[in-house]
Amino acid sequence: MRAILGLLLFPLLLGAQQVPVKEHFLSNGMKVLLLERKDAPSISGGWVARVGSVNERPGITGIAHLFEHMMFKGTPKIGTKDYKADVKIINEQERVRDAMRVEERKMREMWRKGEITDLQDPDQKTDKWNKLNEEFKVLIEEHRKVIVKNEFDRIYTSNGGSRMNAYTSYDHTAYFIDVPSNKLELFMWMESGRLLDPVFREFYTERDVVFEERRMRTESTPLGKFFESFNSLFWESHPYSWPIIGWPSDIPAISKKQADEFYATYYMPQNLTLVLVGDFEGKAALTMAEKYFGRLKKGEGLVPDVVTLEQPQKAEKRFYAEAETNPNIDIYWHTPAFGHKDTYPLSVLAQVLSTRTGRLHKKLVLGEKIATDTWAWQGARKYAGEFNMGAEVTDGNTPEQVEQVIYSLVEEVKSKLVPAKELQKVKNNFAAAEYRRLSSNHPILMQIMRSEGLGNWREINEAGPKIQAVTAEDLQRVAKKYFTRENRAVAVYTRKPGTGGGDEDPIFAGLDAQAKAMARKVTSTINADKDLVQLKKRLADLEAQMEKAGAKAPPVMKVIRAVLRKRIAQLEKK
Amino acid sequence: MKNLFVIFLVFSVGLSVFAADIPSRPEKLKFPELKYEPPKGSDYRVELKSGPVAFVVPNRELPLISISILVRTGKYNEPKGKEGLAAMTGYLLSKGGTKSHSAEALEERLAFLAAGLSSNIGDTSGSVGVNLLSKDLDEGLAILREVLTVPRFQRDRFDLYKTQQIQSMKQRNDDSRNIERRELVRLAYGDHFFRSQSATKASIDSITESDLRGFHRDWFHPGNFVVSVSGDFDRKEMVLKLERLFSDWSPKGKTAKPVPTNKKFAKAGIYIVDKEVNQGRVDIMLPGIMRDNPDYYAVQVMNDILGGGGFTSRITNRVRSDEGLAYSAYSYCPGGTYFPRTFVAGYQSKSRTVLYAAQIVLEEMRKITQEEVTDKEIETAKASYIQTFPQSFETKGAVASTFASEEFTGRLSNNPNYFENFRSKIRAVTKADVQRVAGKYLKPDKVAILIIGDKEEILKGHPDHLVNVDSLTSGGVKDIPMRDPFTLQPLK
Repeated sequence: MRAILGLLLFPLLLGAQQVPVKEHFLSNGMKVLLLERKDAPSISGGWVARVGSVNERPGITGIAHLFEHMMFKGTPKIGTKDYKADVKIINEQERVRDAMRVEERKMREMWRKGEITDLQDPDQKTDKWNKLNEEFKVLIEEHRKVIVKNEFDRIYTSNGGSRMNAYTSYDHTAYFIDVPSNKLELFMWMESGRLLDPVFREFYTERDVVFEERRMRTESTPLGKFFESFNSLFWESHPYSWPIIGWPSDIPAISKKQADEFYATYYMPQNLTLVLVGDFEGKAALTMAEKYFGRLKKGEGLVPDVVTLEQPQKAEKRFYAEAETNPNIDIYWHTPAFGHKDTYPLSVLAQVLSTRTGRLHKKLVLGEKIATDTWAWQGARKYAGEFNMGAEVTDGNTPEQVEQVIYSLVEEVKSKLVPAKELQKVKNNFAAAEYRRLSSNHPILMQIMRSEGLGNWREINEAGPKIQAVTAEDLQRVAKKYFTRENRAVAVYTRKPGTGGGDEDPIFAGLDAQAKAMARKVTSTINADKDLVQLKKRLADLEAQMEKAGAKAPPVMKVIRAVLRKRIAQLEKK
Repeated sequence: MKNLFVIFLVFSVGLSVFAADIPSRPEKLKFPELKYEPPKGSDYRVELKSGPVAFVVPNRELPLISISILVRTGKYNEPKGKEGLAAMTGYLLSKGGTKSHSAEALEERLAFLAAGLSSNIGDTSGSVGVNLLSKDLDEGLAILREVLTVPRFQRDRFDLYKTQQIQSMKQRNDDSRNIERRELVRLAYGDHFFRSQSATKASIDSITESDLRGFHRDWFHPGNFVVSVSGDFDRKEMVLKLERLFSDWSPKGKTAKPVPTNKKFAKAGIYIVDKEVNQGRVDIMLPGIMRDNPDYYAVQVMNDILGGGGFTSRITNRVRSDEGLAYSAYSYCPGGTYFPRTFVAGYQSKSRTVLYAAQIVLEEMRKITQEEVTDKEIETAKASYIQTFPQSFETKGAVASTFASEEFTGRLSNNPNYFENFRSKIRAVTKADVQRVAGKYLKPDKVAILIIGDKEEILKGHPDHLVNVDSLTSGGVKDIPMRDPFTLQPLK
């Protein structure tokens, strides 16, 4: 048996596919990672600041992200026609804003007393605030006369720069662009320039932009606000509990002074990593990096550490949301941080459970037909991790029913070893992904920056062998360790009544409102019922009634009959 | 770990620093010259004896091969009442098993090989592809042949697909983004154009296995294929393998039909779908152009300056950077291949500033027709197009798929020097050209403005920036009713 099994396996036998990144340090402690690739005449360049929303505190949540936006506003040399006048206006603006902040403090007090209902409503500002705001608008107009609009972007764009962007995560912030291979020095000039001396022009307009970003991502989508709320439920003590984009109360309260402090604390060279991927010569690039980025002054001491740990969860948490969505179940467990040895078996387990040939899809979608979509993933953040499983629920079933079946699959992993072939299949896909990720410069840059931002760029090379070394026993061990009731938080989503346009359940189509309500109620009791004998009896009774009524049988009976039959068939298959 | 850190630190010191030569402005930097010539399609083009044209691009760097077959069919071939048939056929071709493999067996085998098999049929083309490790090439080709010739359309997968479609229909009105996408097509192309004929519950219910078989039989034959292959193989051997893949094909199927062009653009006006969200999604639309329009290059440069060029464009500058009214504000004007596409200037803004932002966008549209753009603007836009041009051929896979798409859409034969001439055509665009095409295509009084959002709040406007709706359009405000997600008929 063993020999036959061995023949069947054909592991991919891939050597570890190393990404030959070279690590260097500049004289000021800034890390430089270089990867030469000659595929195309371009360079993807970027840098990571090891700071994210975890480094914030209540009151300034969202500052790491707002700061990222501000890094595109220029320097003393870029973005202004007259730097002196520029600084003068910025200082003047701060003076007015300080006065506005005094008013905002009063408005918060009014809000606490109920004299104001919405601090963002333009109709509910105090007269003094409005007056100061008029003053501020004049300063914005004046500022526009000396600003060179989006010059930072224009210089890059007119030199063939593309894909310029940046992102802020819980743990890190990354800035990146692609430039033609002959423009490496421009990249060095621009990036070191904005790190050396960023000027936060249009600070308060940009806060409004961020507010629109928040509306777009979180507030105006069907699930955004629920995800944000659930995230805060899941993380108790850890700073992961607040959203990256910041609480709506905090974003408008952040001052330029606070942003300046943030820069001085976290954007020192020993907290930064420069990454270049593409068509350049390593030694020349390193010399150039020293020339440009070596100008950044090494900061005093260490960057503050994140001290607060997530406290072990004491009891299961449950979150019930009515939303504009199909019903679904979303379960999260706490897991360890990036680089922890248990993250590798957890990542493998996520693949055993997810994908079209994974256990969730086979059981819930193809087998019991109680879900139309399933997911499972292990996400390691820098300081702690999460494992998520979930499913979109089909009609006639409740999220809680699907939840129970998911737990039965979890129990199966705990009690029975995952068969060798199934494990090998998953490992083969990890191995092939090591090749597929090497397609072009830009995605490679993103992977290096992400890994570095999470704690260690070397993981891009070291994770592969660790994944291949995972055993079936490892999977069992981590399942037992992390997938416990008191370690999980469960979100149950049901459709908000009155949404979904027409009739949300086709089976109820054609029924009048009263019959529909009744059918719905009966359906949920039937679907919760596990007693096959009882269900069959109900069906027989119903059929007898229908026969008696003949053509006069109300249509709702037919619907209930269908529901009963479906439930019986489902239970019999088990 | 610690040891490594120390070693690298030692290597890092001693680099010479000449910070003093850093120029005060980036314009003073001197860059080495960069010469770039695009690859030629003819270098990779093979006319297979078995029918299709193939683009074969070897690349020995990694042990991977990617094969993709473009198919001349699309949604436009769906019979009335069978909306959704093209997408369903496309999906189930690779997910419903084949004659000799059940869907489960096929999926398991592919997963074990870490191979990706995909298929889909969109509006104006279909595609079937496989991406695998080069050691599995022969097995992959055998599977591909079966998928293309003897798909199983297995019953349980067929039923599951329908359940999933009905399930996802229920979410049609949940996200304002989905409503926007649906109504944008209807306004830009007309209710009767094939792109507006979305699947309904009734049309999905009515699709039978024999519908799928018929759709597959009619359009999936070598005469309708264009192939792209890239990766770890010997070119000669690959050509032989491709010949075998497409040989002895039966039945013959049908010759591809031309894509319909009977679109109809909406009358001027503001069209609102009332939805309770705190941010309105807005699209300011006008009829667009074809990609072979002689004005194409000038229109691209004009659009880049207006709203296509991100932070260097006028709409982004004013709506986002100046006023903080949106996170994303943009315009696009792609050239159509079969029918003219649509010009769209769009953004998302809080309900009460939706109209103010629309006013700004329209002002910018007018301004670019009335005044020449600046030297700086046109130079930035042109330089960007010219210098980012090599991206079209960034990877060997991109080389193969770009030329396959050129062949598929006919440009490789009717404008074989398109890529060779692209940069000089962009270079030749003048400020006068930009103003001329702006005047010709941007007609602010003809715009159809689609808004998805909280109608009452939106029309209330912002106290600091009151906007008269009639100043935006002469066509008035029209309500677009929410549609029943199953029938797409207006809900009362």
